[in-house]
Amino acid sequence: MIRFILKRLGSGLVVLFVVSALTFFLLYVSSGSIARNILGDQATAEQVAMKEHELGLDQPLVVRYFSWVADALSGNLGASWFTSEPVANSLATRIPVTMTMVFAAMILIAVCAALIGVIAAVKRGWVDRVVQVGAIIGDSIPGFVIGVILVTILAIQLGLFPATSTISPESGPDAWVYSMSLPVIALLVNGVTGGAQQIRSAVIKQLERDYVRTLRSRGIGEREILFRHVLRSAAPAGLTVLSLQLIGMLGGVVIIEQIFALPGMGPLAVAATGQSDLPVVMGVVMYTVVVVIVVNLLVDILNGWLNPKVRVS
Amino acid sequence: MKLGPKAAAAALVLSASLALTGCGGAANSGSAAGAATALTLGTVQDVRSWDPAQAHVGHVLQPYQAVYDTLILRAPDGKLSPMLATAWKYNAGNTRLTLDLRTDVTFSDGAKFDAAAAKANMDHFKKANGPQMAQLASVKDVTVVDADTIDVNLTAPDPALEYFLSQAAGLMGSPKALGTEGIRTEPVGSGPYVMDKAASVKDSQTVFTARKDYWNEDLQKYQKLTFKVLTDLTARTNALVSGQVDATILDPKNGKQAEGAKMKLAANEVDWQGLLLLDREGAKNPALANVKVRQAINYAFDRKTILDQVMLGQGTPTSQPFGKASGAWTEELENYYTYDPAKAKQLLKEAGFEKGVTLEIPSVPGFETQISVITQQLADVGITLKVGAALTNTYTADIAAQKFTTIFFSLFQGQPTVAIDQIVSTKALYNPFKNTTPELDAKIAAVRNGGADTGTLAQEVNRYVVEQAWFAPLFRVNQMYYHNSKVNVTPQIQQAVPSIYNYSPAK
Repeated sequence: MIRFILKRLGSGLVVLFVVSALTFFLLYVSSGSIARNILGDQATAEQVAMKEHELGLDQPLVVRYFSWVADALSGNLGASWFTSEPVANSLATRIPVTMTMVFAAMILIAVCAALIGVIAAVKRGWVDRVVQVGAIIGDSIPGFVIGVILVTILAIQLGLFPATSTISPESGPDAWVYSMSLPVIALLVNGVTGGAQQIRSAVIKQLERDYVRTLRSRGIGEREILFRHVLRSAAPAGLTVLSLQLIGMLGGVVIIEQIFALPGMGPLAVAATGQSDLPVVMGVVMYTVVVVIVVNLLVDILNGWLNPKVRVS
Repeated sequence: MKLGPKAAAAALVLSASLALTGCGGAANSGSAAGAATALTLGTVQDVRSWDPAQAHVGHVLQPYQAVYDTLILRAPDGKLSPMLATAWKYNAGNTRLTLDLRTDVTFSDGAKFDAAAAKANMDHFKKANGPQMAQLASVKDVTVVDADTIDVNLTAPDPALEYFLSQAAGLMGSPKALGTEGIRTEPVGSGPYVMDKAASVKDSQTVFTARKDYWNEDLQKYQKLTFKVLTDLTARTNALVSGQVDATILDPKNGKQAEGAKMKLAANEVDWQGLLLLDREGAKNPALANVKVRQAINYAFDRKTILDQVMLGQGTPTSQPFGKASGAWTEELENYYTYDPAKAKQLLKEAGFEKGVTLEIPSVPGFETQISVITQQLADVGITLKVGAALTNTYTADIAAQKFTTIFFSLFQGQPTVAIDQIVSTKALYNPFKNTTPELDAKIAAVRNGGADTGTLAQEVNRYVVEQAWFAPLFRVNQMYYHNSKVNVTPQIQQAVPSIYNYSPAK
């Protein structure tokens, strides 16, 4: 198991390196005169040259990349070209906001999708049909549209929630829950419907297997079959779906955070990419890659724990 | 495992109910609902650095005014009045400005404001490479005359200098804090408010509280001031309509929603939109060298209709690039080019382009509708507009590199010399082909040396570029600044958002 984890971590590092190099060089190609962008349209040519020197943009690209790598390895991700805020600081204040939202949504998605999926698979009939139709509707409405509808009805019309985030250090945990409720709901609808659908088919597939018939013929109760055998066998499929959803959510959360003005990774990523603020973009990309690697690793470990066959292969 | 329809239905709505039950506490409708002396403003972006030398113009200047006083105060109508400087005077040649300073002002870190502090700020501004560094480009040096007097020595007269000292270049920070790391994240000024760093979150909100014993109570109308960063237009609209912010800037379309919720509009014309016919000597597009072609372009537009359709009528059609408040604006140039397709065709014929002219312009994000409408109207007179790839974030560099012969843009209308150095003079970014004539040079020189008459003298520059059709302006657009009934707002000329002093609690 430890060898397996180390192997995965090793390949993760390679991915990290490759992605960082690609991002760095691609941004270089698209960034043009970054110094002029920083200084605005009233800056003189001398100002621009001064800024380029200040940022080290007069160095060759390869030198810049490897000095970035060297700094990053020693834990220094640099500072934003536009605000001079250290990238590590930016990430440290924004990751908790985004991650709170993503994990709250994921936990709710896991619980709701499992419940709905299992009920639909076990009950079939009209319950199943309702779930199926609901899944299509849920899947076809983008999260940001749900967000806008929620704000209009629950925040502006009814005044139950704040229309945009009110998170600040002086506000207590209740303000956090308040600010996060609508964005989390907007995020989880697609996940719940999509996840329920997958879990439903996985459970149905297991219920049709021979071992279920054998268990039934031995007089073992439906409840025990479902919880001890079927769910355990269906779990890997569900886990994979959830991990894919979590990774997909890293993208979806960007728009949701914009709509609700949450100071998370989304607005940071959008602003930094738009401005070609290379140190910040690199920080955001590194964070995303690390999340993807860690999530995949956790899912593999969990799958191995649920199903020893996976571990061996 | 029997589940009735009720239980199944309950499971279906579980996702929503789980989230909802977790938050049954009392609703908090935002800080705006608190004490009457709190003001919350929705802003488009956070301040990049609180170093006063990094301040910018317009809405990017407003937050700095909360913590930093300027040497000169600019009233909403543009009139300059004393602030940290009690009086100022030019020498005979307009090359030295002497400022008398207040003696009763301290910074929030206890440092005293005096001539040495003012000099330290201006010296810092000149070398800090901020976005407005050009504001002090004409300043040779600053000398301390006595404890409360400075001389600002110029290399050449600069009629905009006093105005600049009411803007970024005039912001005064504590000399003890200037140049330190700390001032980037926490401002240290002498202004009406001090930052509450503990309550502030980068890119989310910045909170200020009234500074005790501030020297000018008239400018300190609130106990608490919050800037809430709302980059997204929909988020700004929602925050205003739901009462989370007291005032913010929207656009005509979202403004309708705000008006539906009884928000008030403080409209103000700040920018002009239209075509910049950059290649006036025909370096890349020979047709543009002919003044008749450029005039034909101007006659091709039905400005009023475009304004009504695209901007919901929020603005004023115009043929001149200089703004109404600049002094360079004249009534007679306002409708110099009226909609006259027949005349446009006639001019093209006279210029030898009866078979048509092709112009290439880049697409500009946010202006797609305008560009498609003018493409149609130009086609009607025989001018083909070829719209290319969109401007990217490198557009300033691309413009400077003469990549475009014509562009559609929205540009700020500033003071005469500011506008001249933005779009007319050979050092202007928006004159990348460095077009000029001896006649124009003479007119510009007259403005620069014009002292109190710069406005009137700049009318000549304005007339020149209108008659020569350097541009094809369509209209000045309204900035749609909305606020609720709890606050009175006075628009500030040449600013999309008002200065911080222009807000007061509604009685």
